Amino acid sequence: MVEEQAYVPTNEVLLDLQNVTKHFGGLAAVQDVNLQVRRGEIVSVIGPNGAGKTTVFNLITGIYRVSSGDIVLDGKSILGLTPDQVLRRGIARTFQNIRLFNNMTVLENILVGQHTQLNANILTSLFRTPGVRREEEEARKRATELLSFFGSELVSRQEEYVINLSYADRRRVEIARALAARPKLLLLDEPTAGMNEVETLEAVKYVRRLRDELGLTILLIEHKLAVTMGMSDRIYVLDYGRKIAEGLPEEVRRNEKVIAAYLGKPTASEQKAAGDAPYV
Amino acid sequence: MSAVTMNTNSTGPVSTTRSLLIKWVIALLVPVLVFNFVWQGDYLINNVILGFINPADALVDTGSLIQASIFILFFYLVVLAFAGYLVAADTGRRSMLEVWVDVLIFAVLPILLIVLVNDNLIIGLALCAILWPIYFYIRRRVPFFARSKALLSPKSVSLLSAEQKAAMVRRARLGGFAFGLSLAITWLVVDLVSYFAGALPTELLIVTAVRTVFLVVAGYFLGWVGGIVAVRLTLSANANSANGGDNSAQSGANGRRKRQLMMLASSRAREEAREVVPNDLPLRSAGARRFFLILLIAFVLFYPVLDPFLFGYGTAGRLAGYTDAGYYVILALGLNIVVGFAGLLDLGYVAFFAIGAYAWGIFGSTQFGRLTNIIIQPEVLSWLFWPMIIVTALIAALWGVILGAPTLRLRGDYLAIVTLGFGEIVPVVFLNLDKYTNGTNGIVGVRSPAFFGIQWTVINHVPYYYLILALIALVIFANVRLRDSRLGRAWIAIREDEIAAASSGVNLVRTKLFAFGTGAFFSGIAGAYFSAKLGNVSPDLFSFNDSVIYLAMVVIGGLGSIPGVIVGALAVYSINLFILNNLDSIASDPTSFLYGIDQFIIHYIPSFTFGNIRNLVFGIILVAIMIFRPEGLIPSARRKRELHQAPEEEAVELGSLDVTTTDPGFEAEVRIE
Repeated sequence: MVEEQAYVPTNEVLLDLQNVTKHFGGLAAVQDVNLQVRRGEIVSVIGPNGAGKTTVFNLITGIYRVSSGDIVLDGKSILGLTPDQVLRRGIARTFQNIRLFNNMTVLENILVGQHTQLNANILTSLFRTPGVRREEEEARKRATELLSFFGSELVSRQEEYVINLSYADRRRVEIARALAARPKLLLLDEPTAGMNEVETLEAVKYVRRLRDELGLTILLIEHKLAVTMGMSDRIYVLDYGRKIAEGLPEEVRRNEKVIAAYLGKPTASEQKAAGDAPYV
Repeated sequence: MSAVTMNTNSTGPVSTTRSLLIKWVIALLVPVLVFNFVWQGDYLINNVILGFINPADALVDTGSLIQASIFILFFYLVVLAFAGYLVAADTGRRSMLEVWVDVLIFAVLPILLIVLVNDNLIIGLALCAILWPIYFYIRRRVPFFARSKALLSPKSVSLLSAEQKAAMVRRARLGGFAFGLSLAITWLVVDLVSYFAGALPTELLIVTAVRTVFLVVAGYFLGWVGGIVAVRLTLSANANSANGGDNSAQSGANGRRKRQLMMLASSRAREEAREVVPNDLPLRSAGARRFFLILLIAFVLFYPVLDPFLFGYGTAGRLAGYTDAGYYVILALGLNIVVGFAGLLDLGYVAFFAIGAYAWGIFGSTQFGRLTNIIIQPEVLSWLFWPMIIVTALIAALWGVILGAPTLRLRGDYLAIVTLGFGEIVPVVFLNLDKYTNGTNGIVGVRSPAFFGIQWTVINHVPYYYLILALIALVIFANVRLRDSRLGRAWIAIREDEIAAASSGVNLVRTKLFAFGTGAFFSGIAGAYFSAKLGNVSPDLFSFNDSVIYLAMVVIGGLGSIPGVIVGALAVYSINLFILNNLDSIASDPTSFLYGIDQFIIHYIPSFTFGNIRNLVFGIILVAIMIFRPEGLIPSARRKRELHQAPEEEAVELGSLDVTTTDPGFEAEVRIE
C-alpha cells in the first residue's frame, strides 16, 4: 500500500506552533493549537469546514496577528512578521481559492514570485545595468525551469494570461510561484480543491515529488480524507478551532473523535466506508 | 463567421504580387496626394525651394528652410520604405476595398477635416475622434466588413527560409519602386498642368525633374529597406507542424530564437496575432507601428518649423498652447505610476506639483536671497535650473513619501479621501507661510532656464517646446524602464492582489512608498518647468480641480498604459482646456463653422454662450467615454481584458479567508502592513 519512500523525513522540527490562539472579537477561531512539522515531512491538517485550518495558515504567514502563543521556525520565532518577511524566512504558501495575478501572464506571475530572489532596485532598474539584465535573463530561465517541474505544457504557455488557463493549470502556476521564492516550508491550502479523481491523483503525485525531488517540507490543508490518508506522514485534526487528534494516518482514521466530527454519530456501515482504500 | 480558410500549402501571400501592388500603391498614394494638394503639403515644398532660390522673399529664415527640407526629405524616404514594407508584409487575404476604406477614414478624413476647420489641427482631430468611433461601430455591424474576419493565427511557426526572405525583399523593392513611380508621375502631371496654366514658376521645373527621378530611384532602394524591416519582424505561418520538429536541433542564437518564436507563437493570445508578419492587417502590425512612430516623432521634432507652412498664422500662439499642454503629459505619466501601476487612488496629486513649482519658485528668484541672505546672480540662477530640476524632483519625491506614509494602511475610498485632503492642505500651507512663499501674492520674477545662446522669453516659445519634449522623452523612458522591472511588476502585483503580492515577498510598505515617491518625483519635474515658464507662482494656481483633471487624463487615456495616458493627457487638455475654453471665440468668428450653429441656438436661447455649458459638455464626454470605452483610449492589454472579459472567462472569486467578514474584529485584524 505505502511504497518505499524515496525521502526519509528527519526528526528535526522545522515549524513549531506553541499554544497558538486567535480571537476575532469574541470568537476564538483557533484555540491552543500545538503543531509540529519536521523537516522533510508531509503533514496534513484536516477538519470540517470552519474548523480554523486556513486561519492557522494565515497566522503562520503573518496575515493575521496571533492573540497568544508562539510560532517558531527553525528555532526562531516568526511572531509579528509581515507576510513578505515570513516568506523571506522560508515559508511560502498557496491559497484555497487560487490568488494569482489575473491580468498578468504565467511568466510574470512567476517573476513576481522571484521578487525576493532578485536584487534590482529603482536606480539599477532605471539604468538597466548589466547586473540587472543578467538577473532578469536568469529569472526568466528559472521560471521556465520551475514550470517544467509540471511538464512541458505550461512551459510553452508562458506568455498566456493566467486567466485563460484551466483550473488545474492555475493551481500549478500558483505552486510554481510559491517555489520561486526558494522556500524551506511549503503551505498548500487545499491543493486538490475542485479537482476530479484524475486531477487529484496528479496533484498527489506532484505534491509527493515536491518533497521527494525538491526536498521541501510540506504542510497542507486537505478536505478529502482519502487523499490525506495516502499522502501524509502525519495528520492533525482540527474542529471548532481546537486540535482533536494527531498522529499517523491509520491512527487518525480510526479515532472516534475524528469520525464524530466529520460524520456525526456513525453507523457501522458508515464506519466501514470511512476505512476505504485511500489514494496512494 | 469567417468564410476564409488558410491555404495550407503556400507560405507566400495568397494574392498575386500585382494585386498587392495595386492595393498598397493606391492606399498610400491617395493620402499623400490629398496631403499635398488639398492641405498644401506641396505649398510647403515649393515655398522651401523658392525660399532657397530667392532668400529675400522667403517666408522664414534660411535655418528654418533647411530644417523644413530635412523633414520633407525624411518624410518621403520613410513613406517610400513603408510602401515596400506593406507590400512585403501583407498576406493579401484582406480585400483591397476594405483597406482603401480604412485608409480613407483614418488618413484622408483627418486631413480633410483639418482643412475644413481652417487648418486647426486640434479641432480637426477632435472631429475625427467623434467620427472614428462611429465608423468602428458601423464596421462591426455591416456584413461587408464582417465577412473576411479571419486573422492569421499560426499553429506552428518557423523562421523564413532564405528563399522566402528573398521573395519578400523582392516584393518590397517592387512595391517601393511602384509607389515612387506612381507618385512621381502624378506629381509630374500636376506640375506640368500648372506650368502650362501659368501657375508654376519656371525655376521649379528643375525641381520637378529632379524629384521625378529621385522618387523612382529612391523608391527602389527604400522599398528594399522596407523589405528588410519586414523580414526581420517575420514569422512565417506554416500549418505544417511537422516542420517545427526538426528545427529544434539547431544550436546557437538561431536555434534559440526559433525555439523562442515557437514558444511565443503557440501561446499567443488571439489579439496578439496582429503583431506577426506576414499579416492580414499589415497596417496594424508591429512594423507598421514603428513607421508611424518614426513619422510622428519627426513631425513633433520639426513642428515649430513646419507650423507656419501647414497651419498659417498664429504659430506662436499654438506653440504656447503646446508648451502648456506638455507638462500635463508629465503629470499624467507620474500619476499613472501611482494610480495605474500600483492602483493607489490618489486624489491630491496637485500637491506634489505645487511643491515642485514652489521649490523652483523660491530658489530661482530673489526670494531665496531674501530668506537665506545668500545672493546668487540672476544669470547664474538661470543656469542652476538644470541641476535644480533634479533637486526639485527629489524634494517632491521626499514629500511624496512623507504624505504617502499615513495612507499605507488605508484601502480604496479611505486612501482617496486622505490624499484629497493633502491636495487641499498643501496649497493652503503655501498660502499661509507668507514669510517664505509670499502668501497670496505669490513669488514673481522666477527665472527661466539658461542655455547657450538661446533666448527664453515669454514671446518665443520654441526653446520651451524643445525643453518640454526632452523632459517628456526622459519621463517616458523612465516609465517604460520601471514598468518592465522588478519594481514595476511589484506595483502591478499590488494592484492585482495585495495579499498575494505580500505572500510572494513584496514588501507592501516600501513598494507603495516608492510608488508615491516616484510619482511625486515626476510631478516635481513638471512643477519646476511650470514655474520657470510662467515666471511666477502663487497658491491659486493649484486646486482640487486640477487633481481631478490629472486623474481624468489617466483614466481616459488608459490606466497603466504609457501611450494611453499621453494621449489621454493631450485629449483632456485639448477638450477641456482648449476647445471648450475657446468655443465662444470661435463661434463669434463669422468664417468658422460654429458661427451658424451659435446664431441658431441664440435665436431660441438668447443668453446662451458656449462657456456656460462648458462643464456640462465635458462631463457628458467623460461619461460617454466611461460607458463605451471604460478601459481608456489606448488601454494596456491587461486592462482591456479586465473590463471586457467574456462571462465564462471570469474566475470564481470567493472569499479566501476562513473567517466570515461579518465578524466585528475582521477588518481590524487583517494586517497587511
